[in-house]
Amino acid sequence: MEKKPYMKPTIVRHTPGGVLNKFGRPPQTVPMRRIEGFDVSELAGEYGSPLFVLSVRELKRKYRELDRTFRTRYPDFQLAYSYKTNYLKSVCSILHQEGAWAEVVSGFEYDIAADLGVPGGRIIFNGPYKTRGELKRAFENGSIVNIDNYDEMQVIEDLAEEFGRTLDVGLRINMDLNDPPWHKFGFNYESGQAFEAVRRATSGGKLNVVGLHMHTGTYVDDLTIYSRGAQGMIDFYRLIRDNFGVRLKYWDLGGGFASMNTLHWAYLPAEQTTPTVDQYADAICSVLLAADLGGEEPPKLFIEPGRAIVDDPFYLITSVAAQKRLPNGRRAVVLDTGMNMISSVQWYRYQFQSAQDSGTTVEDTTVYGALCMNIDVINHSLSLPPVRRGELLVIPRVGAYNLSQSWQFIYLRPAVIAIDDGRVHVIKRAETREYVQQFEQVPEDYSLPREPADGAAS
Amino acid sequence: MAVKFTNDVTLSKSGFLFDHASGQTYTLNPTGQFIFRLLEQGEESERVLPQIVAEFNVSESTARKDLDDFLRQLHELGITE
Ligand SMILES: Cc1ncc(COP(=O)(O)O)c(C=O)c1O
Repeated sequence: MEKKPYMKPTIVRHTPGGVLNKFGRPPQTVPMRRIEGFDVSELAGEYGSPLFVLSVRELKRKYRELDRTFRTRYPDFQLAYSYKTNYLKSVCSILHQEGAWAEVVSGFEYDIAADLGVPGGRIIFNGPYKTRGELKRAFENGSIVNIDNYDEMQVIEDLAEEFGRTLDVGLRINMDLNDPPWHKFGFNYESGQAFEAVRRATSGGKLNVVGLHMHTGTYVDDLTIYSRGAQGMIDFYRLIRDNFGVRLKYWDLGGGFASMNTLHWAYLPAEQTTPTVDQYADAICSVLLAADLGGEEPPKLFIEPGRAIVDDPFYLITSVAAQKRLPNGRRAVVLDTGMNMISSVQWYRYQFQSAQDSGTTVEDTTVYGALCMNIDVINHSLSLPPVRRGELLVIPRVGAYNLSQSWQFIYLRPAVIAIDDGRVHVIKRAETREYVQQFEQVPEDYSLPREPADGAAS
Repeated sequence: MAVKFTNDVTLSKSGFLFDHASGQTYTLNPTGQFIFRLLEQGEESERVLPQIVAEFNVSESTARKDLDDFLRQLHELGITE
């Protein structure tokens, strides 16, 4: 007689709200067996687990939606992709093919863009620490430079002297928009610092202020931050135009748009709280376009999103290393990857699914990462069907900041593949130990003998 | 040794378990139901394992580990003594 298919026996206690969670949604039991038509277990079989997977189609869709939405409202518009969010070369290159400029915050990032072939004039150089050499190169290449502080202004004035010409610069400003306000970058508007900075920049005769830049936060889901920020930008522009004769070529509202991941402290899921691209564009463009600039054409508008473009198109395939019962009866699962690869678990309540059809009974589970560290918890409460060692899970929306902020710790970092129109490209190979240790050397004095001494282990 | 149930419990055909004393409810998957029915009939816990292996497509070692886990869970949930 044919035996019945086996599933690990489970009993799940119903919580007071029944099996519905507090959002009234049934727990996630739908397995995610495929990513864009590719079988998850085949991908893991071929490229290993854990494995990052990029959907190129989703990446392009995100970019195009943002670009189109802003461009139809504000004709002189340009998106500059925030490199720090994910500077895998293929990701940046695809976005440049789509028309993005580069927004970089260090010489390292600047070099990535330049090496990919991005023309200097399409690179925006921000960031609180730029060396003299990096600034020099940026001006020589015609890049846009936004000044963060007086020390940097001084260096740029020296460069202007060296070049024997005035240099076009932007100024980074900040406003009291959020709570707590982001005061780290640039010069503060409300306290008059920004006004002073423009006075200082224009009075030296070496700098020409042509841009204003403001980045107000990240995962900003309060639209009024953008509309108030845009209004502040207009007011400030009028002020410096009237006082110092400044003529802006651009204003740049930075990045900060939210993705579809839900924050730990959020009561509602992101689907209900993250504004649409239309709403972000309206909040910014309607204010800027209504500005009375006395007949002057509104300056070019830049935005520098990162998270909103690359978070959603990336998936992380991971497998179950072990299952255990905690002393309080809760089920726990240990994964083959940890928070060193998805450090955004500090902010995000990642929701994820099994890649197998493991039955419809789910149980509230604590999901641990693979690091031998107590803090490595990927999800404190996830509804998961019974899973066994080796079974695969898929964590969606892992593209923002995780890869660029990942750190090599205890394990080697996994490969990254891109799925594009039925094809798979490896865009980053898995690390090897040789790669990780390539710059290390053990001086002769500290070397161990290779051959065991006579009578070893005796 | 036969497993002793703490309270009066009823398991429905669909795997819905009701604890009459506490009012607490649970869901068991098919394998869980299979084991539960045997225990309910007074089957000794040591005799459950071979019946799982006979009924389902599973190795003895996996079934043993899962059964231990399941029995411990029943105990931790206060369903068995
Ligand atoms: C200057 C600047 N622009 C853009 C961004 C991108 O932000 P986000 O990923 O929230 O869109 C950042 C991120 O910190 C930034 O510092």
